[in-house]
Amino acid sequence: MTKHYGFVMLVYRCIDCKACQVACWAENEVPLGKSRNWITKDGYKGTFPNLNVDYLPGNCMHCANAPCVSVCPTGASYKREDGLVLVNNKKCIGCKYCMVACPYNARFFHPEEKVADKCTMCSHRLAKGLEPACVATCIGGARVFGDLNDSKSKVSQLLRKHKHKVLLPQQGTKPSIYYILDKPTEGGILA
Amino acid sequence: MTQKRNELPSAPKQGETFQWEHYFTRRQFLKGSAAVTATALAAGGLKTGMKMGKSAYAADELNGGDTIDISTICENCVWRCGAIAKVKDGVLVKLEGNPEHPNSRGKLCPRGNAGVKVLYDPDRLQFPMIRAGERGSGLWRRVSWDEALQFTADNMKRIKDNYGPEAMIMSSTHNLTQPYFENLLKAFGTPNYGTQRSLCFNAMTIAFTYTYGLAQPGVDYDNCKYVIYTGRNLAEAISNSETQQMMDFAAKGGKILVLDPRYTITASKAIEWLPIKPGTDLAFFLALNHVVVTEGLYDKEFVDKYCVGFDKLEESLKTYSPEWAAQRCEIDADIIRKIAREFASQRPAAVAHPNWRTSNFTNSFQTQRSIAILNALMGNWGASGGLVAGGEEGGAALGSLSQPPYPKTTAPRLDGVPWKYPLVPLKYGVIQEIRDSLLTGKPYQGKGWLVYRQNPLMSIPERRKTMTALKNLDFLAVIDILPNDTAYYADVILPESTYLERWDPIAPAGNKLFLRQPVVEPLYETKGGLMILKELGDRLGLGDYFPYKEEQDIIKAQIEPFQIDFDELVDKGYVELESEEHHEIEFQTKSGKIELNSSLLESVGEPGVPEWQEPPAPPQGKFYLLTGKVAQHSQFTTQNNEWLMELMPDNPVWINTQVAKKLGIKNGQKVIIESSVGQVIDEALVTEAIRPDCVFIAAGFGHLSKAMKVGYNIGVSNSALHETHTDSLSGCQALTETFVTVRPLSGEDLAGGGTA
Repeated sequence: MTKHYGFVMLVYRCIDCKACQVACWAENEVPLGKSRNWITKDGYKGTFPNLNVDYLPGNCMHCANAPCVSVCPTGASYKREDGLVLVNNKKCIGCKYCMVACPYNARFFHPEEKVADKCTMCSHRLAKGLEPACVATCIGGARVFGDLNDSKSKVSQLLRKHKHKVLLPQQGTKPSIYYILDKPTEGGILA
Repeated sequence: MTQKRNELPSAPKQGETFQWEHYFTRRQFLKGSAAVTATALAAGGLKTGMKMGKSAYAADELNGGDTIDISTICENCVWRCGAIAKVKDGVLVKLEGNPEHPNSRGKLCPRGNAGVKVLYDPDRLQFPMIRAGERGSGLWRRVSWDEALQFTADNMKRIKDNYGPEAMIMSSTHNLTQPYFENLLKAFGTPNYGTQRSLCFNAMTIAFTYTYGLAQPGVDYDNCKYVIYTGRNLAEAISNSETQQMMDFAAKGGKILVLDPRYTITASKAIEWLPIKPGTDLAFFLALNHVVVTEGLYDKEFVDKYCVGFDKLEESLKTYSPEWAAQRCEIDADIIRKIAREFASQRPAAVAHPNWRTSNFTNSFQTQRSIAILNALMGNWGASGGLVAGGEEGGAALGSLSQPPYPKTTAPRLDGVPWKYPLVPLKYGVIQEIRDSLLTGKPYQGKGWLVYRQNPLMSIPERRKTMTALKNLDFLAVIDILPNDTAYYADVILPESTYLERWDPIAPAGNKLFLRQPVVEPLYETKGGLMILKELGDRLGLGDYFPYKEEQDIIKAQIEPFQIDFDELVDKGYVELESEEHHEIEFQTKSGKIELNSSLLESVGEPGVPEWQEPPAPPQGKFYLLTGKVAQHSQFTTQNNEWLMELMPDNPVWINTQVAKKLGIKNGQKVIIESSVGQVIDEALVTEAIRPDCVFIAAGFGHLSKAMKVGYNIGVSNSALHETHTDSLSGCQALTETFVTVRPLSGEDLAGGGTA
């Protein structure tokens, strides 16, 4: 069966340290001031001292129904068989349509390459059998990577075990990045 | 790709005088730097005779080949994680966690990942320099290593001849070269040794040492059921492997209780968060111990066998009921009682964490003693899920180079150890007292200060006083990698190589020996600390204390007892020794047992068991000033790191929403924060996540050195606000005993004001 790479974000496990961002900057030579991934602080819910807060790790959602791909006039943005949404720099003319179309604000304009840039799920690492850089360094164990089509993969097991969500489902983008919001007291061990 | 940088044409020539803030290369050079390719720079070739790791040589020989991996040890905090450097054509492109290293477990925190920007920071000190104008004028002259070292040695000798060796202070922060730094100061003959410890964890390490004979035990997270953290914020003050273990523990539903006046990220992962009133943790733990003892919930067998002083403890605890504590720490008596019972029901898999920076209140030492005692009552020492012997004290006994004995020092120490602080170990010291002695001239006048990898101007409370003290010195020398705030006031600066360019002595981790080795050739005219210390020692006539030609000689001596092949160690980065046999439980205390009642405390006329000590509280209209760490910075060393500053660019002051409303302070508004010793202007961060009687400012910001182009004048310094309060037992600085006012910045303030 073909692979379908994706992430499961165990939100409870994210400690907002942002090691994932630095690892991505180094791994992918991301220009200073730009980022291919992020952590969204969901704001404190409640009032002192009854509080709650979540940190949501994010990056390109590698959508099955990717708006960036459909608006690209040159075919530079494309979808791979294994689920990755990528940009072919040689074809990109820097028109930024894709940046506008992406509901997740996952893309930026590379100031030197003059092309749209974004998370590649570290496709060059996947080719060597390595996990994406952000996953490999995640201190809290919040970022989990794997083949969504493989029922034995950790991501598939987590999705079977826990309730999960995607960001902005109303956009109909069918993201490959899933979020699990369970706490250990609710859905059992988060690992 | 981050390029390998050689000196720019704009750098001053040797002998040339220049202005501090102009010396350092323009930052624009680095921005958008991908144009300068690694290959182009590598074509410049290697200087011959560089002392590099074997693998690093190989990397350069490849010249255009694949990225190669070199194992080393991170130094962007003190945790010493094993790291794998990815090096291409002699250029470091990335750092990753070493899966073989127990402290990193294959991962690096944001600071560890950002080590690349430490190496390639364009503001780094590049060559030795000597002050060329008034102290603080910013005028410097570039000099040769020979001139800088001779100048340093001559000044040290002059001070020794005129005032005695004790007039020379030497201070350094926790690091792998410390044994040789200690050699320099002890061989020189000064007793005046400054460390960071009294500003950090003296209260914890001394309390555990006097109770268990061990400074810093660890936790068996795999089998633990219940952990109490008292201000320990592992999710933000990251200790890599332990933070990972805590999150694994939390994710499987392990019970975490956090005591903290702030809703930290650790608190957000806890099952229970109690925003305890600052300074009253002691009351809370006295009451837990009270319940555990009066209700017979403790491990009687363990206490009988391994502890001394239970009777005295039992007697003293009688008054400390949960009802008594509730009046002080603002936590209901019922909750305290419930926690005590739940906690004890999980023993021995119940741990009251020893914590880390415990320099909060003058009673913090007693708090830590109570925590140490609670663990003993749980019988959790060496038990499944309990406290484990750990820290840096353990590990294999390494070999060493032979050296002569030290000369005897007769002068008293400036910091009052032991004549004023009889219980503080000589190795820890009380650094804030050294600063004060420079101002009072008592017990005698210190004349010179050698600062190694430290920034006392930023770390010691009452920055204004520290600045005066530094300005009054006859001689100030700084060894560092950055032109930091203290360096700005120095007479001579010796530029060190970063941890990615130098060899250090071996660091044992568990049953493995790990090596820090150069992953690239040292940039500019920098030298490793071991060589700087040796060359300084040679010029002082103390060469016998530095019996090595190069750093590797030390490492070879360290591994000598184990029949390890040096080249193999260099290639692999570590070697694994056979696991040691499990030893019988033994305690390095006077009694050989866990001292619930401390014989040492009694020997200096103090009560042997913890007693309540009322902490000061802010008067109406003032707030406790809290400080603490964030995951993206390490003390005062990382605010010039472009990547880390991108993640955490400043340190706004946290203030409770309801309080801010009353004071007319809006989120993001400029406010004036004032203590009895200084004032700063900061932005307000209005939040629900802090007690109404507290404000919080993260540590590390507010640099004064204009040569740190990223970090200069960004955010505010707690040290400008902190008053000096020292615990007479542990020497621990009480950082939270500073109370401040906060008010919106007004037009009037703008007319006459400024930062401290």
